[in-house]
Amino acid sequence: MNRILWVLVSLVGAAAWGVIALNRGETISAAWLVLAAVGTYLVGYRFYSRFLANRVFGLDGRATPAERLNNGRDYCPTTRWVLFGHHFAAIAGAGPLVGPVLAAQFGWLPGTIWIVFGVVLGGAVQDFVILFGSMRRDGKSLGQMAKDEIGPITGLFAMIAILAIMIILLAVLALVVTNALKDSPWGIFSILCTIPIALGMGLWMRIIRPGKTIEATVVGVILLVVALVGGRYVALSPTLAPLFTHGGLTIAWGLMIYGFIASVLPVWLLLAPRDYLSTFMKIGTIVLLAVGILIVRPPLQMPALTRFIDGTGPVFAGKLFPFAFITIACGAISGFHALVSSGTTPKMIRRESDAPLIGYGGMLTESFVAIMALCAACALDPGVYFSINAPLGALGGTVVSAAEQIRQWGFTVTPEQLTALARSVGEASLLGRVGGAPSLAVGMAHIFSGAFGASLMGLWYHFAIMFEALFILTTLDAGTRVGRFMLQEFLAHVWAPLGRTSWYPSNLLASGLVTAAWGYFLVQGVLDPLGGINSLWPLFGISNQLLAAVALCVGTTLIIKAGKVRYAWVTLLPLAWLLAVTLTAGWQKIFAADPRLGFLAHARATAGRLAEGNLDPAIGARLIWNDRVDAALAGIFMVVVVALVIASVREWLLVIQGRKPATVKETPFVESAYAN
Amino acid sequence: MRTEPGRQGGRTGRPEAGRWGRFLSGFKRIVGMPDYPGYLEHMAERHPGCAVLSEREFFEAQVNARYGNGASRCC
Repeated sequence: MNRILWVLVSLVGAAAWGVIALNRGETISAAWLVLAAVGTYLVGYRFYSRFLANRVFGLDGRATPAERLNNGRDYCPTTRWVLFGHHFAAIAGAGPLVGPVLAAQFGWLPGTIWIVFGVVLGGAVQDFVILFGSMRRDGKSLGQMAKDEIGPITGLFAMIAILAIMIILLAVLALVVTNALKDSPWGIFSILCTIPIALGMGLWMRIIRPGKTIEATVVGVILLVVALVGGRYVALSPTLAPLFTHGGLTIAWGLMIYGFIASVLPVWLLLAPRDYLSTFMKIGTIVLLAVGILIVRPPLQMPALTRFIDGTGPVFAGKLFPFAFITIACGAISGFHALVSSGTTPKMIRRESDAPLIGYGGMLTESFVAIMALCAACALDPGVYFSINAPLGALGGTVVSAAEQIRQWGFTVTPEQLTALARSVGEASLLGRVGGAPSLAVGMAHIFSGAFGASLMGLWYHFAIMFEALFILTTLDAGTRVGRFMLQEFLAHVWAPLGRTSWYPSNLLASGLVTAAWGYFLVQGVLDPLGGINSLWPLFGISNQLLAAVALCVGTTLIIKAGKVRYAWVTLLPLAWLLAVTLTAGWQKIFAADPRLGFLAHARATAGRLAEGNLDPAIGARLIWNDRVDAALAGIFMVVVVALVIASVREWLLVIQGRKPATVKETPFVESAYAN
Repeated sequence: MRTEPGRQGGRTGRPEAGRWGRFLSGFKRIVGMPDYPGYLEHMAERHPGCAVLSEREFFEAQVNARYGNGASRCC
């Protein structure tokens, strides 16, 4: 019976891929992508994750840290489906929603293939191996495992990588929000309202009704909806609308001030209630989106492949290889997950046999979110997609110039269509709103209004924007805090009191430095004539894949030291692919001769325009400086990844040649009391 | 027969908490909220007779532990 079921699942998945393969040149329904993806996930989960669990990791009936160290708090055995939800909510953020939307400029096919096969063979393996390693070591962090199993230098590299990726991540996410909110009174009003709502919830949960988190969150969600509806009246009011209409630079500074203040406030006042709200909204909206796609089954308007695979794309520069694989990190393979998989989750696993569902299955689910985001973006008319995602510099300032430019790219859209679309979602203009969030919101609004009522397009659009902005703002707060703690750890070596996290001046200093660091890249992105996403998103992708390389090096070391060299390919395969992708992309971003692609070429081109007198000297000097900073950063990422791989390979060879004992530093075996 | 602490109460099975109570407990853990009834049950089961934190103290301790050194979260 069971066997028949799995044959059936495999056949349905294969048939869906068949439909995708045979219908090139015709429009197909998004449902086929979903079916092909889910079929592949199920087969990967049933067979590959079981192979990893039984053969490679050797999961057995031993007691987990949650069982042995159960303290009713952080170490706490948790039912597998609840923990699956917890883990998924912790790993899925804005990344899997934005990356696939940007990569849709290549067409829907490359993104789909990379998301589905990348996750089964790479991303889910990475999450699972790190979860396994941490679970066998009482919940140690990635950095600690790197230090213990490979060496102290690797631990240091891992720390630097984490801090760098954090700064770039915060900058690029803040840029996404800035572009979604600029000149949008409806958006700004509803996002601003989330701050007093969260503060009110915080006071409620701590002072008025201590610990009553559920009722506070329910009231908070109701107030969010009120703010959303209210935003429409603000946008229509001639007196209120100008108060909430701001340009990109003002919003960027607002975000920096917000990030700085939020990260030094007590956690119960703003961060915790915000996190409850955004997690609640995240899970709800993702479920809603899945239901919407299944009901509407939108046709994919975007071609399977566009002409932009040659590297001339307006959304970001660079050819299909390596940039499709850099642009889509979260959803296919994301180094960041290694931090969650070695954070709270391993301390909550009840039985070792639950680990595949949580580690491997959790990542498959995030990949599914990425597929849905891709479907939502590719269900848009390509002309509309490029009118939102191409930078204003390329489109020109008017709907007429934009329609003409898009016609030259080979897609048709009329100026009237663009005006009508902007009006239907309650915005003055959607042109050049780069960053992925607005076009995803339009796609989601299409799907939602198709599934749940067509008259509410504007409300659905702003609902989607609020949903993304809500958890990006939470990430700004939490990320600035993480950066602050790491920086304080470094600063303690300079002057010991700076490392004291209870000392307010030190906190203010470290928070200010971290905010200034991501704020620098944010302002650079806002002022960038190419739209900012073009330079920052690839840097983010490279840094995220770099962290994934760290995680896979640690994973390979664990496998080799456990005496299972013959299975080391499970992590070496994705590692080799990531190295090829990251190093090629890093090299091209620094040295490519095309000024849209290479940082140094762009600096030279800017210098040329300066010399001709076509550019304000102050602006020109700034652009050149920014290019050099970006090039240096990409260079640092490449050096770190190469050094790390060399250190790891050295360690592997020592073990394989028998010059170092093949022993892992696991916690000793204790029999579990749970039935496995 | 081996005992199965998870099946007989504890924070995972919780038959006595009722369907709604179990749902709330699961929901709180998914979102990452402190689960006070679950904590009381753990203390009663594993450390009977020990002093327990008040709901407010427990909330504060949990929120600080989860967010105090920066929540690990993702892109």
